[in-house]
Amino acid sequence: MAVPAAFLAPILLLCGLGPRLAAAHGPTGVECVLFNEEYMTCVWGSRETLTTNYSLYYWYENRSPVVECKRYLWDRGVSIGCHFNQSEIVQFQPFHVLLNASLNGQALEIRSKRMELQDLVKPGAPVNLTIRNMSSNQLQLTWSSPYPKAQCLEHAVKYKSNKDTSWIEHGVKGDIFSFPSVDYEKYYTFYVRSKINSYCGSTQLWSEWSVPVVWGRNTTSLAEEQLQWFWIHTVLVPIASCLLLLVLVVLLVRMERVWVILMPRIPNPSKNFDELFITHNGNFQEWAGVPKDMLESFKPNYSESICYVSELPSREIHDPQWDGSNRLPGGPGAPAGPREHSPYQNNYVGV
Amino acid sequence: MSHAFFRSIFRVLPLLLVLSPVNSSSCTMGNKTAEIRVKYENILSHDIDELVNMSAEYRDRCCKNKKHEHSKVFFCNDTQEIESLQSMACNMLKFFNKQKISKEFRWKAALVSCGTLQVLQCKCERHKKEKVCTQVNTHNNEDRETGEQSKKKCNHEFCELKENISSLRSCWNKFEKIISR
Repeated sequence: MAVPAAFLAPILLLCGLGPRLAAAHGPTGVECVLFNEEYMTCVWGSRETLTTNYSLYYWYENRSPVVECKRYLWDRGVSIGCHFNQSEIVQFQPFHVLLNASLNGQALEIRSKRMELQDLVKPGAPVNLTIRNMSSNQLQLTWSSPYPKAQCLEHAVKYKSNKDTSWIEHGVKGDIFSFPSVDYEKYYTFYVRSKINSYCGSTQLWSEWSVPVVWGRNTTSLAEEQLQWFWIHTVLVPIASCLLLLVLVVLLVRMERVWVILMPRIPNPSKNFDELFITHNGNFQEWAGVPKDMLESFKPNYSESICYVSELPSREIHDPQWDGSNRLPGGPGAPAGPREHSPYQNNYVGV
Repeated sequence: MSHAFFRSIFRVLPLLLVLSPVNSSSCTMGNKTAEIRVKYENILSHDIDELVNMSAEYRDRCCKNKKHEHSKVFFCNDTQEIESLQSMACNMLKFFNKQKISKEFRWKAALVSCGTLQVLQCKCERHKKEKVCTQVNTHNNEDRETGEQSKKKCNHEFCELKENISSLRSCWNKFEKIISR
């Protein structure tokens, strides 16, 4: 008898644990978040963790009756949560949630603990991050928040330079953050997020980090800037210059008035003398308009025969017969005798 | 003639006392929200945070089973936040003499109650409770044994006080949110 009992005990144990095991594969709890106090989602699981569809019922302590969720959140055919509109949300009233499902003929019921919705608010991420340069190397970071009650928020600023390895985080009560000393050679990145402060609630839910804002000289942007300047100086300027030159050349060639200014023609006076050579056949006096009587005056009105004059050879200088007593008078036709020391040694022709 | 006159007066006076509203607010700082906000943010909120942290350190396993049994529940009613805070603060003063609760915890709770009544310029219906505030404000904190509550067992009065503290803080959060821009 003990042996069958030994086998029965585990079976009975498993039967007892059956519903609990089924619930163990279901939601372990409900997590509700108020997004910027505009809407709320209560989620109890995902498609992977849920085996059946649950129904959600909620109520506020000392208030309204139990109400079923009007807008379920679905994931591939399985209800995973409930969406609440702003009108369905009441803060500072204890909030209760009940999940109900039926699995294999067994009713599953999961009650959440009492929730204070004002402690589940997740504000929207800050927007419009702006950096201003203040005096003495100081930066001032400002932002605005989509949450309606700015005085109920506290913020956290996270920043890092391009030379830092880790982020630095500062808590800020207002919506201004002053960065005391900035290095102009570095490149800074700033993020901001918000949370309901302890005066208005008791929550640990931070908003998402904002869109970052940057400040300073980035090495990447510097390299890009230098590359840009390189392209401008090395490529664009020469190309532009060549194009300009080409345009000028084309203009010069096509516009004769401009060409003549730059390349003046060499004067060709031949045209001025066309009349001399063509009409007057090279007759300068006729082309110049010299009067005829003046032309006639230049012509000679006498004629002379050519007188040939020659010089005798030089042997008569050394002849002894010749002295001063034997000198014969010379006539116009007689050949002239050699004279000592006569400068006239050559023939000449008189005209 | 004079007898009839005095008889009529004596009848009217008790009638007036009976007919007067029970829950009339005796707080005089109602309209001075800016002043309330400054005092709350700069002074009282820190004491409330310390009290809540202190409350969280103590054993409270018994409180989950015994919730709402024989305990008065206070709500922070809409448009009546100051009156609700007054009720909560006055109720919290009754725990000052509960020996089952550690002395340090009781004193801190009484300090927060008296601070709330002082900021809102409120009085309690039962004037005996205000003698506690005189005692709390004049005596210092040196003769209290720290960590005493950790030796004490979880009890119903401790749970009720803890619930009261949570309600008071929540009501202050609500009031602050309403008066903030």
